[in-house]
Amino acid sequence: MPKLPPGLAELILRRLVPGREGEIIAGDLREEFESRGGGRFWYWREVLSCVAVRLSPHRLTAPDLRQDLHYAVRVLRRNPGYTLTAMVCLALGIGVNSTVFTMVDELFWEPLAVPQPDRVMVIARTGDETVCSYRDYQEFERRVTAPGGRLFSGLMAYDNIPISLDVEGSSQIVMGEAVSANFADVLQVPAQAGRWFAPEDEQPGSDPVAVLSDGAWTRRFGRSMSAIGQRVRIETQWFRVVGIAPPGFLGVSPPHAMEIWIPFTSQPYARELLANPGERERPRVQLMGRLAAGTRVRAAEAALQTVDEQIRRAFPRDTTSTGALTLAVSAGASNPGVREVAAPISIMLLSVTGIVLLIACVNVANLLLSRSAVRRREMAVRQALGASRWRLARQTLAEGMVLAAGGAVLGLFFGIGANRLLARSIPALPHVGKVMLDLNVNWRVAIFAAVAALASAVLFTFSPALEHSRPGLTSSLKGDQAGTRRMRQRDVYVIVQVALSLTLLIAATLVVRAMQHAQTIDPGFAMDHRLAARIYISEPEYTPESGKLFLARLLDTVRAAPGVRSATISYTTPLSFSDSTCTSTTPEERPRRASSDVVVPGYFDTMAIPILRGRQFAPIDQPGSPQVVIVNQTFATRFWPNEDPIGKTVWLGCDVKRPRDMAEVVGVARDAKYESLDEAPRRFIYRPLAQSWVGFVALIVDASGSPAEYTAPLRALLHRLDPNLRVYEIQTLELAASDSLWKVRWQASLLAVFGGLAMLLAAVGLYGVVAYSVAQRTREIGVRLAMGAQRADVLWMVLARGLGLTAAGIAVGLALSAGVMRLLAAALYGMSPLDPVAFTVASLAWMAVAMLASYVPARRAMRVDPVVALRWE
Amino acid sequence: MSDQYLGEFEQLVLLAVVRLAEGAYGVPIRREIERRTGRKVTVGALYSTLDRLEAKGCVSSRFADPTAERGGRSRRYFRIEPLGTEALAHAKEMLDRMWKGVRLA
Repeated sequence: MPKLPPGLAELILRRLVPGREGEIIAGDLREEFESRGGGRFWYWREVLSCVAVRLSPHRLTAPDLRQDLHYAVRVLRRNPGYTLTAMVCLALGIGVNSTVFTMVDELFWEPLAVPQPDRVMVIARTGDETVCSYRDYQEFERRVTAPGGRLFSGLMAYDNIPISLDVEGSSQIVMGEAVSANFADVLQVPAQAGRWFAPEDEQPGSDPVAVLSDGAWTRRFGRSMSAIGQRVRIETQWFRVVGIAPPGFLGVSPPHAMEIWIPFTSQPYARELLANPGERERPRVQLMGRLAAGTRVRAAEAALQTVDEQIRRAFPRDTTSTGALTLAVSAGASNPGVREVAAPISIMLLSVTGIVLLIACVNVANLLLSRSAVRRREMAVRQALGASRWRLARQTLAEGMVLAAGGAVLGLFFGIGANRLLARSIPALPHVGKVMLDLNVNWRVAIFAAVAALASAVLFTFSPALEHSRPGLTSSLKGDQAGTRRMRQRDVYVIVQVALSLTLLIAATLVVRAMQHAQTIDPGFAMDHRLAARIYISEPEYTPESGKLFLARLLDTVRAAPGVRSATISYTTPLSFSDSTCTSTTPEERPRRASSDVVVPGYFDTMAIPILRGRQFAPIDQPGSPQVVIVNQTFATRFWPNEDPIGKTVWLGCDVKRPRDMAEVVGVARDAKYESLDEAPRRFIYRPLAQSWVGFVALIVDASGSPAEYTAPLRALLHRLDPNLRVYEIQTLELAASDSLWKVRWQASLLAVFGGLAMLLAAVGLYGVVAYSVAQRTREIGVRLAMGAQRADVLWMVLARGLGLTAAGIAVGLALSAGVMRLLAAALYGMSPLDPVAFTVASLAWMAVAMLASYVPARRAMRVDPVVALRWE
Repeated sequence: MSDQYLGEFEQLVLLAVVRLAEGAYGVPIRREIERRTGRKVTVGALYSTLDRLEAKGCVSSRFADPTAERGGRSRRYFRIEPLGTEALAHAKEMLDRMWKGVRLA
């Protein structure tokens, strides 16, 4: 019995070189196999050598693929309406996806604008916002860049901070980074003019210097070279501008765009802390380093953790953050906190836009199906002439590819436009400065769009391709229009579309309602008629003593001014930012942070916050007298659940080594909202300004008229009191409250846009199906009319079809929504995810749209002329 | 077409096709080259070259009837085309010109 060549090898050969050529090669090999009397190894080697045949250039662009594409383009060009509809649907779907992806990309993957960004590492500490103290940083820097076990070619420290920058009298809060002197060396970012920082700039007593961003240079100095050497005032200090950062460099704290950099040690608070040799834990910083050549990330991480432990042992401390150090290539937002907040929002947005794309795909599939009905005959003829089923299916796939490619290109353009719009309309975050989000389209976005297009093409051509490949030959050739199965399939598509878009619409309605609901949340204090002005009364103009005197005079003057009902002073501005302090109820206990504020007597009257027990602060609470505090309900019930808090002791201070301050609780204030309307109840503690001086305060005025109109008179009044007084933004409390809801407003607007888009796309789909059924049934309608049916009956017949499909879709959509809406629960401010109003409103809206989408084809059906319709026979 | 350039292996394959005349199909072409040059030729290299030569228009091929000795598969016979003859002649002429007057020690 003759030996046979290995079957698996033959199979592989047939895969490698399909068709007749493969057969020929197999024949050759068989012949030789027999003549040489076997040799499986030889046979396998020969088969594998056929990869060369597979890869030969003219086989890669197989002539029939080219032919398919050519034919597809021709067909699509002959039907411009159909092509355009399909491409625009896809472009909308791909466009919104690439827009959202661009945003996600910026937040997570966009590398820093520095040379070799993949060697720049972000060092983070698990469970901690910062990494270490500045002193520890210096120790780290010394150890990890030492010539022996060199891990990093450079290690730098930074911290991003809001900086109030004075330019020609008006102060503005911008984002800046306070950095170690080697900042630019580590990042390898050259200055485009002037210089970056030098080690001398860190020495105590050196002249404070600053580097401006390209944008700040343009806006504030008109790109004039004379900016170098100019002085800008940051709070109390003058900084000399020594350099301009290159264009495109916005710092290392995305998504925030930096406008200014200063040496870390030139911040007054940092200098003060660093002057105290006993202080090891503050000021705290973030770290970034550039890996030394040849060092691998994981190895560096492990080594860094060892260094961390060594430093801890060398410099023991009481309050320890125990989290391990981690190392990651810097990309996107380096702050783990930002990533944590951004991740769920990104996932939500991407799934929402994914659904929009899915709906668009279903639309195109529907279009292709209706085309397939038209082309049944053509396909049947081609099959009868010998085209294989795969060949026919491939023809449909080729059309899909051409459509998807067109859609992707259009979609990218559409996405760029949407990015511009989005970048402009991103609400400014209060006290955080500009968000950078350049929203540039890069190769990652382009690849994403291409993958999305490819996936959609496969998705929407899958079923039509199957459909094309098995026409019932005889019936199609006869021109029979039977196709109930296909009709049913299209109905299912429409139902799915309606259901999906209804789900998005319900989500959007829910979030919009939650936003309205949030605006009605009781802040716990009076907002109407009140406005807050932020003023600076500190060194060098004021000492604490002269500042107190000035504030007393200021309050007297403002209270006596016409149109002012009352006025008060606090450190924080309600609903824009809050401070915190360390508290404990025994001197031994580890201190915990509680939100805090510093206020003057009368604050609770002006803000209409009721004191539930005890008393308010009074003029008798002075630096010399016993320290007093007022706590809120949450604080009182947390620490003294069933006791009277009045007279209890609170220990203040974060440093466990030094003795903490003892203060007596003299009053309990009702809970209020402190930082944003949507926050959970939090522990809060008030201290009197007289006992805890701060030089940066909010003057809160209760004006009898419209608070917004009082802004200018207030500014004039303050100017009269002290022409040099620095006054920052003046804002009504209502505006601050609505600003604090930026997150929900953002989600609501995006969801509303996407929900609307999904509905539009699904409506187009519905219209297509109803219109197609009208076209199919023209003859039947003609017969009915000829037999005496009323035109209204025909209208109703068509409408009923559209509305029936919609009703089915709505039913599915409602069930689906009931299941998935609980995922949104966290963003709804306590509103039920099954809010009946949202469900009803969204369903009714869809019904109305469905009515419109079916009415247009229904009217066309009503106008059918029976004579013309019957002449088709 | 004088700019038609033939690689060395392409020349060998073309010459084998010419030598075999009517009997030029995969198996003998390979044997011919192996016997005369001592080089091992894989089937993949051979067919990718033949495909390329066909695409250039140097050879043409036809499919013969299936035979039992090949497991019921047919043979693909190759024939040189005028373009191939011209390209071969051109290649030889080029080599001859380069060799003219060259004497290796």
